[in-house]
Amino acid sequence: MKYNLLIGGQAGQGVNSISEIFTKVLINYGYYIFNYKDYPSLIRGGHNFNIVSFSDKPLASFESKFDGIIAVDNLTIKLHEKNLKKTGFILNSEKFQDLGKDINIALAGALLNTFGIDKKNVLKVIKNKFKTKECINIGEKGFDSEVTKYNLNKLNNKISLMSGSEGVAIGALNSDLNLYVAYPMTPATGVMNELAKIQNTKRDLLVFQAENEIAAVNASLGGSFAGANSMVGTSGGGFDLMSEGLSLQGMSEIPLVVYLASRAGPATGVPTYTSQADLNVALRAGHGEFPRIVVAPGDAYESILLTNQAIYLSNKYNILSIIFSDKHLAESQFSFSENIPKFLKIVKNRKIPFINKEVIKATSYEHDKFGNTIEDPKTTIEGHDRRLKKYAELQKVCEEFEMVKIYGKKNSKNLIIAWGSTKGAIIDAIEDLDCKFLQVLYIKPLSKKIKKEMQNAKNIILVEGNSTGQLGRLLREKTGILIPKENRILKYDARPFVCNELKEEIQRRLK
Amino acid sequence: MQKNKINPQDISTNQLITWCPGCGNFGILESVKRAISEIANENKLDKKNFAFVAGIGCAAKIYDYLDLNGFYGLHGRILPVALGIKLGNPKLKVIGFAGDGDTYSEGISHFMHAFRYNSDMTLIVHDNQSFSLTTGQATATSQQGFKSKAEPLGEFNEPFNPVKIALASGGTFIARCNAFDIQHTSEILKKAIEHKGFSYVEILQKCIIFNKEMNDLNKLMFKIEDNKNYSEALKLVEMWDYNSKKGKIPLGVLYQTSKPILEEKWFQLKQKLEK
Repeated sequence: MKYNLLIGGQAGQGVNSISEIFTKVLINYGYYIFNYKDYPSLIRGGHNFNIVSFSDKPLASFESKFDGIIAVDNLTIKLHEKNLKKTGFILNSEKFQDLGKDINIALAGALLNTFGIDKKNVLKVIKNKFKTKECINIGEKGFDSEVTKYNLNKLNNKISLMSGSEGVAIGALNSDLNLYVAYPMTPATGVMNELAKIQNTKRDLLVFQAENEIAAVNASLGGSFAGANSMVGTSGGGFDLMSEGLSLQGMSEIPLVVYLASRAGPATGVPTYTSQADLNVALRAGHGEFPRIVVAPGDAYESILLTNQAIYLSNKYNILSIIFSDKHLAESQFSFSENIPKFLKIVKNRKIPFINKEVIKATSYEHDKFGNTIEDPKTTIEGHDRRLKKYAELQKVCEEFEMVKIYGKKNSKNLIIAWGSTKGAIIDAIEDLDCKFLQVLYIKPLSKKIKKEMQNAKNIILVEGNSTGQLGRLLREKTGILIPKENRILKYDARPFVCNELKEEIQRRLK
Repeated sequence: MQKNKINPQDISTNQLITWCPGCGNFGILESVKRAISEIANENKLDKKNFAFVAGIGCAAKIYDYLDLNGFYGLHGRILPVALGIKLGNPKLKVIGFAGDGDTYSEGISHFMHAFRYNSDMTLIVHDNQSFSLTTGQATATSQQGFKSKAEPLGEFNEPFNPVKIALASGGTFIARCNAFDIQHTSEILKKAIEHKGFSYVEILQKCIIFNKEMNDLNKLMFKIEDNKNYSEALKLVEMWDYNSKKGKIPLGVLYQTSKPILEEKWFQLKQKLEK
């Protein structure tokens, strides 16, 4: 079973609250959920919607046809009714007009009764969220206004619901993060908010909003120099501003971890929507030549793990680590039933002022091993060689991690290659197709397994959320294997892949 | 804790100094060493208790000449790095060395925000009224008419007045010194480093190669008593406009006041300070 619901209304009408109440109840009932959030760049009015998909089996995508539309305003119906399945239902706010701003609570109640959830469980969740008796009564009124259409049984699954942003924050916290410096920018701000709200006297964590991204990255390096385990977060435009700091990291070899949540560019682009177009800049930004790692989690669970690995590697090798996310990954909610495995313990492999007795120097200038400025050719070469040596080291050490993952039919001659937030839609789309899916989690360095997989496949299909196939180009550079143009499924309408549409695209290319 | 007394020469390195002969930076270097050694000895501090940040430019070369924890950052970014060091370890006494190009052009936003944050650290601006390491272009404090290879017709813009900006930005310690008056400069620097909050010391150092037109300012300078009165401060910062070769240039603590510092507002930092 799988249901696909659209919940829509104006910004400020509580669309997110409906999905929050609904998903909280469903998680308790043991259902897997994927919640996609779509909103334009405005604060009140306009049209926002969530697509909540749920199933008794794992899922991480949504579909284009809806089993139900929950409409806080009439525009929602007007815009989306054409995508309602014949068997689908609509819950509108007509009956609740006198409730004003609490229409959403009534609709949440009505929706949960539609799915046959026990009233007690519904009111408990509403009580926890809104506290007041009035809200509970409104929830009950909504609940009573509908009849049960589907009967959801309680399942035994233990499920966690988490956004990519929450995943990065949990990964960072469990890597003993001390300092997070950022300047607000969608869709990266989620991590700043997550970390900021858990600052407390027992935890050595400080979240600082700097005057701009240039200040953020330089302050992070300053903090790191002084011994803090530090991180910055930003999106495309802010990342551009941070470029000089990336290069400074390269020369000074002070650990720097950058959380890059991309959105549709160039420039301001489509600011509250998604894109994978910033991979090139993540791989190359910063002048000069210096090592880095770029990891790309594909869901909330991987966001936890890869954030931990990125921080670990940055501190161990004194390098730049970039955690690549995007709006779709950062703000969508994913569910998983795995336990979070043990975290890698962060070891600071550098001398720290104040703690060390001797004088410690770090510099943007080419330097000798004591940190003294030099300009002679011999020491310049030595400096480069010392930094470049890390490429080989990283290639070796990263192979110990899960740099790629394989899904689908292991012996299929069809091979899909993709990375990042496209993962969920691909896995759901290929469920009953004859193909194998290779997810690239480490984009720099690249796993040696990728070339082997590509050599063994008869038909390679690339799936990316950009217009030029940036991973495809990188794979060609590193493996010499070209994925033909007709086999590149590229989406650049600033929206994520929709499972059933992607399935058709893949099916047409299977051999 | 301090084991041995620190003399100014203990803070020296044996790196070759590449400033031009006669440059005001020599005076600033000596003043800094004196101020730091005095503070270290009076408070029984070790060299490891200090950290400094340099930008890029002639001033920043000081990185190689001070045997202290040091971070040679990027042009204009002294203050964010210094702030980061304080966020990482608030116990460190942090001093930033910057030029006028560094601070008033590339890093002006950081400069103004530093007064808002009021972190307990010091910024020393070596103001020679020109970009000198790039062979003499006009900065934000160069006088009108300043001719350079980039502006052969002369600088059209009026300079701005950095001490006035500092006062308008809510500065809690604003001072001005003359690089060639080592005794006075080291006294003011000592007060700046001891000030609780963000202290800013603007040092007029003149560029003897590229902006000779402003080399005679010494005769306009006079020393004032430390000032803690805001209306008096307004008069003091207005007294010289960085453009004129006439009038009077007050030196000393132009304004000092007390405001809560960043390290006490954030419990995370306060806890570390108290440890």
